[in-house]
Formats: sequence, structure tokens, C-alpha cells
Amino acid sequence: MDDRVLKELTQQIHVLKETALAVRSKGVNLRIPAVERNAARILASVKMLELTMGDLLDDRAEG
Amino acid sequence: MADWSPYWNEILETIDGGRLRELQLKKFRRIFRWTWEHSRFHRRLYDQAGIRPEDIKTLEDVVHVPKVEKSMMREIQSKDPFPYGEALCVPLEEVTEFRQTSGSTGQPVYQPDTWQDWEWWAECWCYILWAQGYRPSDRVFIPFGYNVFVAFWAGHYAAEKIGCEVIPGGVLDTQARILKIQELKATAMMSTPTYVLGMAMTARDRMNMDPSALTINKITCAGEPGASIPSTKRRMEEAWGAKVFDHTGATEVGAWGYECTEQPGGIHVNEAMFLVEIEDLETGEIIRNPGQRGKMVITAFDRMAQPCVRFDSKDLIEWAPEPCSCGRSFRLLKGGVHGRVDDIVKVKGVLLAPSAIEEVVRAFPELSDEFEVVVCKRGDLDQIVLKIELMPGAEENKTAILGRLNDQLRLRTNLGYQVECHPYGDLPRYEVKARRFKDLRQKEI
Repeated sequence: MDDRVLKELTQQIHVLKETALAVRSKGVNLRIPAVERNAARILASVKMLELTMGDLLDDRAEG
Repeated sequence: MADWSPYWNEILETIDGGRLRELQLKKFRRIFRWTWEHSRFHRRLYDQAGIRPEDIKTLEDVVHVPKVEKSMMREIQSKDPFPYGEALCVPLEEVTEFRQTSGSTGQPVYQPDTWQDWEWWAECWCYILWAQGYRPSDRVFIPFGYNVFVAFWAGHYAAEKIGCEVIPGGVLDTQARILKIQELKATAMMSTPTYVLGMAMTARDRMNMDPSALTINKITCAGEPGASIPSTKRRMEEAWGAKVFDHTGATEVGAWGYECTEQPGGIHVNEAMFLVEIEDLETGEIIRNPGQRGKMVITAFDRMAQPCVRFDSKDLIEWAPEPCSCGRSFRLLKGGVHGRVDDIVKVKGVLLAPSAIEEVVRAFPELSDEFEVVVCKRGDLDQIVLKIELMPGAEENKTAILGRLNDQLRLRTNLGYQVECHPYGDLPRYEVKARRFKDLRQKEI
């Protein structure tokens, strides 16, 4: 798969992660476990996306 | 029918070798640093060896990292924090899953996982199931007593993740499970080879039902080497009229290997998630070329709560000479896992692997699926007693069958056996892992 597609995927995964982190943080601040824990679960799935896609591109980027 | 890719993740499964090694180095460095920073047990081990994360500059440097043995894990689990001990790398409140090893080699080892680790387990299993043809249209039956042993838990979660419909066959007995498979027209199942054969026998003998007439078209095996032993695989495939695939994994490691639909006579190592090294049993040197058997030392790159870094699994493996025709660049292990170093025993001065006996016995259609091997002493001499069952109707050819059996055993193992014929149904049946090999010699001393 070409690196341009990988890069685009990686960026989208990054946006997902930033959003989920922000939601989780809000859940903590507002003391709403339903927000915090659901966001934490999403982050675990996002991590799988990073492992399967992002890691490879990071590898190139970090050289 | 959707036009699915044959790969769960084409990006990684077809990656070229050079890039894969780069990725493995990066991932090894990352998990090694994580472990060095967060596990008191590992830090002590690495300090004693004088190795630090910055010392890992190439994959060749990995051999300097001390190995971890199961006995070490047992020892540290008596320490804080309860019940995992000093290899725990995350706060206890982040642990969401408790599982433990089967205990087949001694005191079970406890395995903590965070939810992310649990996602990772399922992700590893997705590679397996997808490569074996599982798709969202499958209805998967799991005849497994869901409990503290990890076994097929992650297979369940992976099948869900793929989009299959999953039927948990938990506390049902064998007959109820078979009836549920029949009623719901399940298309796939996961089990140990022992139980795959046991279910088929129950269907035939107690329910007057031919399991091959059911709708199961693929079976994923784990826990024992049977699905990579040609004669046992053939028995299972014939009994169920289904393709049987092997997969390899361990509680403290993860699900690290899988056979694909090409059935290439071996299993792929998921090299994007694991680093597999093969160590020469005598010299301890790393074996890089095909054809030489050694024991596996394995690292899971992404398991964080209780990491697995250079775990001495004692599984006997060897690299296959040719790549698989499925297009995956993940390397193949010829014949899967051939047993464990601990299972190899010396009898009459000859090294004997129990899987070799299984291969011979299961190649005889006149013999039932069950057998038992007992090694004992008669005076000063070792003796191997092989207990077998003749299939109903085979008694009249008993002498000829036993003659051929003895010939094949001697040919395959270089040893002589005292064969005991038992009535069909007399030997013990097992539901999960079988204990067919007993070495009584030490007990008699």
C-alpha cells in the first residue's frame, strides 16, 4: 500500500485519538463515568488502529 | 456475498521483509523500554545482566536481553501487588481481566490485562480467524467452558469483532452442544483437537448422528499440536467434513501463530505483533535458517500490563524453507509446534516426542481416537506401554493391525512398545487438554 494512503489513514487515526482523549478528559473533569469509561474503551480500539496502520508510517517518519 | 480481502490487514501481512525487520526493531525497543521502566522484576533482571534500552541498536542485540521462564513468573507472583507481583507495569485499577495458564505444567501463572491488552488479544485472533476464512456471514459455536483459563475467550471476542455471530457453548454438555450446532446450523467452531474428536465420537456413538452431516465447515484448534499432526488433522477433517486449522498461542504470550486456508503444512508467525527467535537446544545460538529445530523464545510487542519479553516458551519449532503461497510475508514454521522441550523424554537412551506416537496411532483407521502412553521401569529397563482401543469390528484383524502398528512405531521412533488392547470406550476421554503421556519412572525410584 502506498505511503500516501497510509499517511492519510494515520492522520485520521490521530484525529480520532485526540478527540477521544479530549472526551475522556471532559468525562473526568465533569465526573461522568459514562463519558470517561466509554472514551477509554474507544481509546483502546484507537490503539489497535495505531498498531495496525500508524506504527508502520511512524517507523518511516522517525527514520 | 461481499468481496472480502483474503487478509485481515494487508498492510502488515504482505509487508516486505526489510521493512518488517525495521518495524520489529522499533517495536522491540519500545516494549523493552516500557518493561525496563515499569516492571521491578524485569528491571532487576536487566540490571543484573547490565543491559539498558539504549543498548538495543539492531535486532541482533536482542539476544543479550535475558530470557524469562515460567518458573520466574510463578516466583514473583507471591510478591506485591497481589495477586500479580512485580512484573505488573500498570496501576492495579487499570487491570480489567484476570486469566491464568492451564496449569498443565505446574502452578498456574496469573495474567493481568488492561482493556487495551484485551483488545490486543482479540486483534491477534482476528488475524487467525480471517486467515482461516471466518467472515461476517459465519455463525461460530464455541464449545468451551468459559472460565479462568484464557483458551478461547479471545477467539470469542475476535469473532465478534470480525462480525460473526457467536454462540457461547459454555456450560452445555457435549450432547447439548451438538444439538445446538445442529439447531442453529453453526458454520464454524473452535476447540482443542482432543475435544473435536471427542464430540465427533459422542455424536456417532451416543446420538447416532454423523457429525459430517452437520453444517460446520471450518474448525480452529488450539491447546495441543493435533491440528498440525497430519494424521490427527485428517481424522478431524473426515469426522466433521470440515477444514481444520491450527493456531498457536499461550496465556502469558498471546495468540502468535496461525495456519491459513492454503494449509501449507505449517503456521505463520504474526511477525508484526511478535518476535519469534529459535534457539539451538545445545549451543543456545539463534537459528536463522530453515530445517533446524530449536526452542522458541518469544516477545509480544504490544502487551503492556504484564509484558512478555523474550519468554522461554520451550516450544519446539523450525523455520520452513519456502514462503507460503497465500501471499503473506509472515514466515512459516514447518509443522507448527512439535511439542515442548519438557515433553521430550529419553527412553532406553532414545529421545522420544509424544507427538510422534500420536502421528502413528492416529494414522490407523482401525484404532479409535484415544490412546495412552505409559513409560515405566521393569527392573532396570525402561518399558513403554501403549494402550490403544480397536474400533468396533476391527477385532478379527487384531494380530495384523498390531503387527503393522509395532512396525510403524519402531520406524518412526526407533523404540519397541508393549501394546495393550482395550475395549472401545475404555480409555479416558478428555474435554480440554488431554494427558495421554505418563512417565512413571521417577515415581518408582
